[in-house]
Amino acid sequence: MRTHALLGALAFAALLAAGAPVTAHHSGAGFNSDKVIELTGTIKEFQFTNPHTWIQIIVEDDKGAKVEWSVEWGSPNSLGRQGIRPSTFPPGAKVTMRLRPMINGAPAGGFVGAKFEDGRTVGRWE
Amino acid sequence: MHTTVRPLVFVFTVSLSLLPAAALAQAQPSAVRAYDTLPDWSGAWSMVGGTVFDRATQTGQGGATAAGVRSHPPYNAEWEAIYKSHLERRDKNLFPDTISNCGVPAGFPRHFNLPDPYEFVVRPEQVWVLTENGPNVLRIYTDGRKHLEDQWATYTGDSVGHWEGDTLVFTTVALKGYRDKDVILDRTGLVLSDQSRATTRIRKTDPKTIQVQMTIEDPKALTKPWVVTKQFTKMPEGTRVYDYGCAENNRNPADIDTGKTLVIGPDGKPLNKE
Repeated sequence: MRTHALLGALAFAALLAAGAPVTAHHSGAGFNSDKVIELTGTIKEFQFTNPHTWIQIIVEDDKGAKVEWSVEWGSPNSLGRQGIRPSTFPPGAKVTMRLRPMINGAPAGGFVGAKFEDGRTVGRWE
Repeated sequence: MHTTVRPLVFVFTVSLSLLPAAALAQAQPSAVRAYDTLPDWSGAWSMVGGTVFDRATQTGQGGATAAGVRSHPPYNAEWEAIYKSHLERRDKNLFPDTISNCGVPAGFPRHFNLPDPYEFVVRPEQVWVLTENGPNVLRIYTDGRKHLEDQWATYTGDSVGHWEGDTLVFTTVALKGYRDKDVILDRTGLVLSDQSRATTRIRKTDPKTIQVQMTIEDPKALTKPWVVTKQFTKMPEGTRVYDYGCAENNRNPADIDTGKTLVIGPDGKPLNKE
């Protein structure tokens, strides 16, 4: 697993510009708005469902154990209008993902951006 | 074909004649504008700004979670204290959004404070304001009817109005407000009472902008009328509006014990219960 915090200006800029908000339905208060982490893993499932979409990704932790992360994104409606589809995150795809992690350290967070092995990016990835 | 329809028409006519006179009077349209004289508000529209109710005073980013970006409504002391208690709970993630558990309407006036597309459907006898988020429907009767004197309170209330040129003017009454603690105006915990009512003016200010100006009165909670203006900008031609099945996969319910917004993990258990 590769995780590290991208603090300061980069994180702040990402927060301001990150695609569709995940707070359309609820407060989003469980996520750390001051921090962005990066992790690499394999897509298990893209739940293209209301009220919010969720990307399930399997990531190996520092001890080699596989951990399932839940990454929340915008509504399928708003994302669909921006060209995102259920096939955007196909099961089995290797991906590096940036997210705002949960405050309590649980394996979940708010989506910021993702980069696939072929260099294709989704969301904010500057 | 005619032989099939005629008996039905006869039955319908007889049924109408049996209705009480008062019910018939309510159904009679009056002062209905012809369709081709009504303004064109077609298309999909998006609210400008974050879901902070009084956008006119918003000065920064962050919407409902940033301090100091909105003005207080003119609350009296009792309701100012209620609002401050909500803000304190909000800061601890213990003030639940009433729509987080799916199933109740956003209510009025929050109807005009939602993300995602809006549609303003103009018909001679009614105008419908549809929101994808929710979904919610606000029906505004423009057929000359009056509010019922004994109308019971609901989330969205009862709205009747008329046209002044190309401006729709309507009043909304019979609102639950925060009586049952299931209607808020935004996630700061802004609330109104069951005595709230509003006069709203909607007009198109330019081809890409619809303006909604609400004058909200609430003798129980406010010291004077509160005027709020919301703007809606036209989305690209051809924009589609979809289902919003809130209960389809709601992984952010509010904890019924604490009010905390939960994050549900892949095993169906909350990741932040404590």
